[in-house]
Amino acid sequence: MQQWKVLFRKELKESLRNYKWLWIPVVFVLLGITQPLTSYYFADIIEQFGALPEGAIVDIPPPTSAEVLAGTLGQFNQIGLLVLVLAFMGTVAAEKNDGTLIMVLAKPVAHFNYLTAKWVHVLVLAVSSFLLGYAAAVYYTILLIGSISFSQVVISALVYCLWLCFVMTLAVCLSALLNSSGLAAFATLATALILSIASIYAPDLVKGSPGMLTVYSEQYLYAGEPEDGFWLGVIVTAGLIFIMMSAAIYLFKNQEAAKNAG
Amino acid sequence: MNELIASLQEVNWPLIAPLFLLSLILMITALVDCLKRGQTNGPKILWILVIVFINFFGPIVYFLFGRRNNE
Repeated sequence: MQQWKVLFRKELKESLRNYKWLWIPVVFVLLGITQPLTSYYFADIIEQFGALPEGAIVDIPPPTSAEVLAGTLGQFNQIGLLVLVLAFMGTVAAEKNDGTLIMVLAKPVAHFNYLTAKWVHVLVLAVSSFLLGYAAAVYYTILLIGSISFSQVVISALVYCLWLCFVMTLAVCLSALLNSSGLAAFATLATALILSIASIYAPDLVKGSPGMLTVYSEQYLYAGEPEDGFWLGVIVTAGLIFIMMSAAIYLFKNQEAAKNAG
Repeated sequence: MNELIASLQEVNWPLIAPLFLLSLILMITALVDCLKRGQTNGPKILWILVIVFINFFGPIVYFLFGRRNNE
């Protein structure tokens, strides 16, 4: 446990030093603020800058709070996810390439501690950035658009967090197993994209898929009650996170052992 | 000109201010990091231009790719 804490503190210090704890939350808050603001000023923006014919009447129905927050989650899913995965693509792979990994593991450091310290740190940073950004979005939405029930906001946020954890776990695992950070990022984003596409075009076939969690969190904002397959998705995703992490630790250990033997 | 001033006064500043402030924080952090760093991934002057002139995405791209080995 002592060792784990040291490794975790090393991660924390490193990402404080390269400003990850500053700029990633700021990016999420900016994304969170932008969506309610543009929804609120949408009619004005169209009137000012849209090339509408003279005398055209702009009649756009004002969006509901649920729509705006669902739009915010969509923004997080595009730019936010991209930023997070690219920021952490090298979390293990880069240390492999620049030799830090050999230095760390030359000491009697358990692979389990090394990998889980990194993993927990990535999840903490990702989840807190998301929660900050989402809180900003909710604040602006209530201020500008209208109120929304507290439980709807909280549950949609929790479900979205689980999806975020799934993607970041995948990113850490792939970074540990592959030698190139670029390849790890590409594989993670491709998987996230495929899961998202499947959840849009064949939602009935992939009810328990992690990709459905984004759909469930948005639908919870609209309906306020769990959709069919909601709990299945949650359980399958939590299980997958556990399996991926266990497999990654096992394979990572063997990989390093094979390297030392050879 | 008067029209511009009038429209500027119409803007709800307390609402928009956080947006500018956060963008500024992002830009300044990236700029400070870039200037303090010995070497960047590519010409430094180019990164400075990217950070200053491309709003929001400029600093992000610098943080992601401007530093060597994602350090």
